[in-house]
Amino acid sequence: MKNSRLHSPWTPWLFLAPFLLSFGAFFAWPAIRSLMLSFEQTFGPKTTAFVGLTNFRYMLHDPFFWTAVGNTVVFTLAAVLVQVPVALALALLLNRSDLRGRRVFRMIFFAPSIVGVAFVAIIYSLILEKRTGFINGSLHSLFPAWDPDFPWLEHYVMPSLILAQAWLSAGFYMVYFLAALQHVPGELVDAAEIDGAGPWQRFRHVTLPEIRPVLNLILLLVVVGSLQIFELPYLLYNETNGNGPENKALSIVTYLYQTGFRSGDLGYASAIGWLLTLVLVGFALVQRRLTQKEEL
Amino acid sequence: MLKMFSPGLWLVLLLAAGSTVLIALLPVRQQAGMEMWLFDANHAKIANLIATDWNRDHPKNPVQIHLITGAAIQSRMMSGFYSDTPVADLIEVERGMIGQVFAGPLADVGFMDLTNRLNREGLRTGINEPSFSPWTSRGHIFGLPHDVHPVMLLYRADLVAAAHIDMSTIETWDDYFRIMRPLMVDLDGDGRVDRFLLNASPTSIYYHEVMLLQAGGRMFDDQNHPTINEPLNAAIIARLATWYVGPNHVASEVPLGGASSMRLIREGYVVGMLAPDWFAGGIRSGLPDMAGKFKVMPLPAWEKGGRRTSVLGGTMLGITKASRTPEAAWAFAKALYLSPLTAERLYDEARIVNPIKANWNQPFYDVPDPYFCGQPIGRLYIQLAPDVPLRPSSAFYGQASQVMNLAIIQLCQYADDHQLYDAHALEPEAQRLLDGAQRELQAQMDRNVFLRATR
Amino acid sequence: MSPTPRRPLLRPATLVIYVALGFFALLTLIPFLWMICAAVKSKEDFFTSQFLPRGDGFLGVAWDHLNLHQFRRLFTELPVPRALLNSIFLASVGSILATLFSAMGGYGLSKFRFRGGKTLSSIILGTVVLPGALLLGPRFETLFHLGLVDSYLGIFLPAMAPAFGLYLFRQAMINSVPADILESARIDGCGEFRIFFQIVLPIVRPMISAYLIISFIAIWNDYITPQIMLQTPERQPLSVAIFSLKGLYADDYSLIMAGTLVSIAPVMLLFFLLQREFISGLTSGAVKG
Repeated sequence: MKNSRLHSPWTPWLFLAPFLLSFGAFFAWPAIRSLMLSFEQTFGPKTTAFVGLTNFRYMLHDPFFWTAVGNTVVFTLAAVLVQVPVALALALLLNRSDLRGRRVFRMIFFAPSIVGVAFVAIIYSLILEKRTGFINGSLHSLFPAWDPDFPWLEHYVMPSLILAQAWLSAGFYMVYFLAALQHVPGELVDAAEIDGAGPWQRFRHVTLPEIRPVLNLILLLVVVGSLQIFELPYLLYNETNGNGPENKALSIVTYLYQTGFRSGDLGYASAIGWLLTLVLVGFALVQRRLTQKEEL
Repeated sequence: MLKMFSPGLWLVLLLAAGSTVLIALLPVRQQAGMEMWLFDANHAKIANLIATDWNRDHPKNPVQIHLITGAAIQSRMMSGFYSDTPVADLIEVERGMIGQVFAGPLADVGFMDLTNRLNREGLRTGINEPSFSPWTSRGHIFGLPHDVHPVMLLYRADLVAAAHIDMSTIETWDDYFRIMRPLMVDLDGDGRVDRFLLNASPTSIYYHEVMLLQAGGRMFDDQNHPTINEPLNAAIIARLATWYVGPNHVASEVPLGGASSMRLIREGYVVGMLAPDWFAGGIRSGLPDMAGKFKVMPLPAWEKGGRRTSVLGGTMLGITKASRTPEAAWAFAKALYLSPLTAERLYDEARIVNPIKANWNQPFYDVPDPYFCGQPIGRLYIQLAPDVPLRPSSAFYGQASQVMNLAIIQLCQYADDHQLYDAHALEPEAQRLLDGAQRELQAQMDRNVFLRATR
Repeated sequence: MSPTPRRPLLRPATLVIYVALGFFALLTLIPFLWMICAAVKSKEDFFTSQFLPRGDGFLGVAWDHLNLHQFRRLFTELPVPRALLNSIFLASVGSILATLFSAMGGYGLSKFRFRGGKTLSSIILGTVVLPGALLLGPRFETLFHLGLVDSYLGIFLPAMAPAFGLYLFRQAMINSVPADILESARIDGCGEFRIFFQIVLPIVRPMISAYLIISFIAIWNDYITPQIMLQTPERQPLSVAIFSLKGLYADDYSLIMAGTLVSIAPVMLLFFLLQREFISGLTSGAVKG
């Protein structure tokens, strides 16, 4: 691209101006401010006090924080183990070209990600209810031995959350996988088949390497997204502000939100936020390093 | 140009234009007059009655009553206090919501300081003194108390009569559990007891506070320093543990609310329940078919001659500093809370006793209540009003309850693990657990720089 | 490039695949079906059947028990119409602003070489890695100091700088807008803005449609931003209002379901009409075309 002399040097800045103004005021500045805030304590945005490293020291011993970390990590692991295979499996099923109605299926599977977390929380709070909920009701009708009062939301907090999240997101990731699969050159797959490779071997040695970049991207998205889980447990367990029974639903971001907006301490919330950021950036960097090794 | 616009883009542009026009034409109007937020339907009914009269007499300062959920009150109220978003002039706040309001600098408390007004207008002495304590922060009172909420023991008079038990011989909890033991029977023949003597369990965080306060235990001292690990507290929770667990445990909890709790109460799952006035009223309205089966009596004391009541719950009415007409708001608050009409309706609907001493000689409190076998329960509760213990006014009351509750749960687990069900034997472990709870609470409190002034 | 087509016979393997897909599709659809049935059932029927109430009507369903009573309630007694208006306003205006400024920004970054361009690019795209939660508090503080809390503007202004949008438009323009066209237009004396609106935008038309919808749906579904920012109930969009509904009418399941149906119907419709663009826009950054 030649550097044109025909436009004024201000032109690109002009086009970027609205974006940059908003970005500066509402992304860049808040990011810097959040670092400052992590060394402060506030009672709402009006009242602040400098507290040095107190927030970080407290975080090390804060039982709520560590409960949140534990819950979030478990959720993330489960999310990866559930959502990625399901999404990939669905995409593989849909990838056959002799399939009619592929568009219909794709739309169906993708639909849950359109509706938003608030909807999912409301629907699942009713579906998972004892007795009248769909799951308990229908399982009891099919298998009378099933306890209609099975306490999904009261005792099986993590499974409930994982189920709801899987319903919400699997289709979203499936679409990415499907797009990637459709770019796998048919000749390679055919050549492998002619060479006598079975379906699993074809998948493992031909398809999988071809979709590796997208797989890595999906893994990144799932992990980064799951570590930041917030609205789903917060709304599902709204009566307890997102804690859930015995704090089993508390996630890192939920705790951040409670601290910042219910207790008004934007300082401690920022400290938690930075810790989370370090974990996310760390994970992204580690994954980058590992995938670069793969490509060599 | 037109080629650029796909149908999707057209649609969105249309929606944007249309909605912008509508939004401009229908601005959010700031209501004239005062606004009041309540979370309880009964209170709202009464408030609306008083408001109708008020609005007629004060056309320039009308008040609008809004019934919204407790969670909505809490979040909108705090948002208003933190960030100056619109709040009502008058807000009814429940016991569990006030902690956060007091957790910052005294100057940032969003409610008006009513201390001087209350003193000047003689209301300080005219209202039952213990009712002020939860709404006081650093010596300043921020709300008009709604209630007294003394606690009595609500028991199944029919079951007691059938067993020929004379309740007047019961003076202490030990007496109670000993004399009432014959009522603990196995109803369905499965070898397990189906009837318990008291409605409580390791997780009933509210009842723990009731017991603690009755027995003289404290979570905070007069300067609001945490006193979780006082030896008296250890003795109290050790004794509580023996009620909750063990082969002869006498207490089990009926979960609050829901269809199953009503069923359990009907069946007599628990013979006695810790009943503040609102709970008795709630039973009366929720189980009309059980009329004549319940009676109340003062709580059995912890030690002979000890306190026979406690306290649970509480609501206050606060006036926000953001109100543009604080004097009118104060006048309405008084009209609502001091009025004998309010006291009567509150008692009528919910059997709740008013904290205004002048209202205590109203005749309706003495009317024998057929639901409670002819007892004038209003009068019975009022008689206990001066003895009602003080509720903590610390902003960390919620956290303190949590850590204490956790200690009790752990103590019960310990008791089960070691098959140890003697109160004295459990005291050392109780003390150890409370020491841990104290440390945890102290760490939370130490972190807050705004409340350091009180410490 | 697609795999070589096989003969379209219903082989056993294909049948199995259809069954598997059908099963998963059913699982996916059940919550929707359940919601729709709940929204039109009466309270008593709610506890007797999972989907449609049994009766003497066609297919053994008591069609006469169904009603639209809840919808009428939503629109007359409850503040749903205002919430719907708020949602439409926030989502449509917001997505237009987001799309316009992302496109402009993407154009500025991709088609011009200037000092600081590369650094700027990296900084902006680097912020994608920051969790939104980190910025919630400080951003709220900033908006408070600007006096924008509890205002629509407080939602629009931050929405004007979406890094993801910038990335998508930058990619799209790098891939499909040739520099020579721009050069020749400049040589012809075209003003910069004319070039942008009359040449560049039409080329990236698919991305405009795609990002507009992505943005629209994201804003429509956003619960937490309006919940924090808009405190006055009359300004709240459906996502928040429906949740307050659940708080107030916790036992009235059909009302709540009717409410949720109303809150998702517009985006479902939009998606149904425009799913191809939506999906291609989403995946364009990830999969090399």
